[in-house]
Formats: sequence, C-alpha cells, structure tokens
Amino acid sequence: MTPDPATAAIAPGRRGTGPSRPMRRLDAATLGTLPFLLILAAWWLLPYVVEYPAYMLPSIGTVLDYAREAIADGSLLRDVLASLARLTIGFVIGMALAIPLGLAIALNRHVADVFRPVLSFLQAIAGIAWVPLTIIWFGMGNGSVIFVIANTIFFASLYNTVIGVQSIPLALHRAVRSHGGRGLALLTNLILPGAMVQILLGIRTSVAYGWRALVASEMIAGSNGLGYMTMEAVQWQRTEKIILGMIVIGLLWVAMDRAVFTTIERRTVGRWGLLQR
Amino acid sequence: MLILLAVWQVSVPLIGMTPYFYPAPSDVLAAFVDLARKGILPVYLADSMMRYFTGLVCGAALGVGLGVLIGMHRKTALALSPLLKFLFAIVEVAWIPIFVVWFGYGIETIVLALIYVVFFPVLYNTLLGVRTAPQILVNAVRSLGAGRWQVLRLVILPSALPGIITGLRLGAGFAFRGLVFAEMVAAKTGIGYLIFEGAQSQQTARTIVGMIVMGLLWLAIDQFYLRPIERATIQRWGLTVDAAERT
Repeated sequence: MTPDPATAAIAPGRRGTGPSRPMRRLDAATLGTLPFLLILAAWWLLPYVVEYPAYMLPSIGTVLDYAREAIADGSLLRDVLASLARLTIGFVIGMALAIPLGLAIALNRHVADVFRPVLSFLQAIAGIAWVPLTIIWFGMGNGSVIFVIANTIFFASLYNTVIGVQSIPLALHRAVRSHGGRGLALLTNLILPGAMVQILLGIRTSVAYGWRALVASEMIAGSNGLGYMTMEAVQWQRTEKIILGMIVIGLLWVAMDRAVFTTIERRTVGRWGLLQR
Repeated sequence: MLILLAVWQVSVPLIGMTPYFYPAPSDVLAAFVDLARKGILPVYLADSMMRYFTGLVCGAALGVGLGVLIGMHRKTALALSPLLKFLFAIVEVAWIPIFVVWFGYGIETIVLALIYVVFFPVLYNTLLGVRTAPQILVNAVRSLGAGRWQVLRLVILPSALPGIITGLRLGAGFAFRGLVFAEMVAAKTGIGYLIFEGAQSQQTARTIVGMIVMGLLWLAIDQFYLRPIERATIQRWGLTVDAAERT
C-alpha cells in the first residue's frame, strides 16, 4: 500500500471547504513559493547577520555567475550528458539481465531454489558497497559506475519481474493451456504481457535507486559527471559548484520523473485500466 | 551457495591473479579473523549501528511530526509541498559534499544524511495514513466534544500508524545504503569505511569482509528488527508492503 513517494502528491487534502476554485489556486501558488522566497532571503541576508568564511556558503550571485560560466563553456552540459549516458547504459544492462532471470525464477522452481539464496544475499550488499572493489577491477570511471548502476537496477527489477509473473491469475494460465498454448506461445501471449505491468511500474522505483547509485558512485569512482563535479569541488572548496550540482541533480530528477514515468504510467496503467494503488 | 564458494576458491590458483586483484575465500576468512581479533571489526560495527539508529530515530520523528502537521493543516500543506517535492528530488547523496564542507568528516555529516533519507518515506506514508483517516470517525469524536489533540490521539494517529510503519521500513532500507555510502566518503570508522579503506590500501580481502559483514548486518536488521515490527503491526491490520518497494 505504499505509492511511490514521488507520486503520492502531498497536495492539499480534499477536506475542508475553501474559497472558490481560481481563488484557491492563487492561494496555493503564493503559499507554495513562500518557503522558497524565505530561503532565498535568508541566504541573501545571512552574511550580514553572522560571520562565516566565504567558502562555507557563497552568495546567490556567485552561484549564478558560476552557473552562467559552466553553461557557456559547456562543462555543465558535458557532465549532465555523461551522467545520463551512464544511467542509460546501466539501466539497459540491468534490465536485460533481470527480466530473463526473473522469468526463469518465477516459472521454474529448480532455478528459483538454486538462485534464491545467492541472490538474496547479494541483494543485501547494496550496490554502492561494490564501488571500492570495482575500482580495483575496472579502474576509475565508466566501468565502475556502470557496474554499480546495473547492479542496483538489476535487483530492483528482478524482484518486480518475479512478482509480475506470480501475480498472473491462475485462471488465465489454465485458459491459455486449455486452448493448446504452451512453450513459446504461453510466454509471448500470457507471461510477458501479464508481467509487463508490474515490470513497467517497477521501472520508476528501480531508476530512482539507479539515480542515487549513479550520483554516489560518480562521487567515489567517477572521472566526470554530476556526482564527480560536486565531490571534486569539496577539495577546492568551490561551494558554488556543489550548490549548482545539487540544484541540477534535483531539477534533472524532477524532469525525468515527469517526462519518462508519467508517460509510462499513462500508457500502461491507464490503458489497461489498472489504478496505481 | 557452497558451489559458488568452491568455484571461487578453486578458480583463484587457476587464474593466477594477485590476491590484491582477486582474493580467495581463505584470504577473506583470514582477514576476518584478523580484523575480529584486533578488535577493529566490533568497534566499527558499533559505530555504524550507533549512527544508523540515531539517524533512523531522528528522521522518523521528524517525518511523523511534519507528516501529521501537513496532513491536518491545509495551509501548511500548500506552503510546504513544492519545497518538499524539490528537496525530495535532491537525493541525499547529493547533500553529502556540502555537509562535508559544513560539518567536516564525521558523525554529523553521516547522521544528517541518514535523517534526510529516512525523513521522506516516513513523511509521505504518514501523510497518506493521516489522509485516509475516516472522516466519519473524526466527526464522531468531535461531536462527542473532543478537541484538536484528542482527535489527533484517538483517530488520526492510530489510523496513520500502518503508514508510519511502512514508511519506516522503506526508510530503513534506503538509510542502510545511505549509511554505507556516507561512511565511505565521510568517515574514519565504520563498515563503509572498512570497505573503502580496504580497497585503498590494497587489502582487498578486507573490502570483501566488509561487504559480507554489511550484507549479513542488513539481513539481521531486516530479520530481527524490521520483520517483527511489521508482523506485529502491518500484518495484524491486514496491510502488506507493496511489492515494488521491497527491494
């Protein structure tokens, strides 16, 4: 019963009677921007009130200047693209391994018995814990980061695939069987489409994990990308770089969430008449 | 599992790589005994656990408090929801660099990051619980003369409890990963540090000891701490954790 935190909108409840519709929307907009304005004001005023070394919290102007500079010389775009490329590759590898194995585990008891103990133990070793080892194996850079992302996404999707297959009603199994469906026909007509909803719904969660893994592993093992950009800035005390990186990470996730997953949900859940619980 | 171990042990001399690159299970076992005997492992374990539970408790308290507030007060919800959505999008790992600048390497940075991780799932699920509190019951209690606090205590909190537990469970999972990562970059003790430092100093066997201990630790937390809570609460009330979120 836990909807994805990102979807469970914390929009105001339907309780209580408020003013008319347009009025309420205006209300929401002003109230919603208020905390942002307060934070910006505090950020702007803080140096006048408390004294602290400039590197601790650069002024808004410094961050904006740096943002302009990073956009102009293309370094920000390069980091963003590098990160997204890794996420994509890791995602493809993770899914390509997870779906077949998940189907096999769900459909065949022997496969399940053999793999389950190993997998449940490996799953407990969170993806990021592999980073030091992958640095030794693959060196700093792409190899390590992609391994960690693929690892993270693999385990998240594996679970969803298994659940997806298991949630297909037995009656449908029998129906397809009694019409002579078996082997490949059973797989393409029943199992894959039946499990697909859960797999697609699970993508959102697994990419959310993958995204964290991406940023985290770039911080330790990256040679470029958003995570590397923010962690590297710590050494040079370029705090404006850290703040810009954080804002970009936040905006990018919001954009991804909106663009990719809402579309997926509309296409699948909406079409098949399943409501997200 | 046993086959895997055997293959691993046998393959080491066959491949003939240095133990730095590819240590054998026997090396790992030796490293484990060494770490345990020197007392490093127990100390690191205690440090990690202390940080983990401090973060978990503080984050959960904050999440429940704010969740109830937002759930019951419409104006607060309107004011805070855009900010919270934005903050949620900045994953906790992205905060670690700036925490390091502000608080240095150490416990503050780690605990803050953990609070941040635990806070959001608890908040959202608490909110969901508060929102689904039956209005009929609220009305009933109110018409019997209950004040704000009594409504909260008698209706809202009990009906939000399953949500709170679910959120806590989710948060505990996220936080464990967060702990290991935070210890890698911002600590000088702990399991995450052991994993990281082992690799840095080319004692790969130590890294693997750290990874295994970490995996067992998570299984233990899950088995002896989270599952019983879940069994005592959620399952009793006929709710189970959604499949997609369990990983």
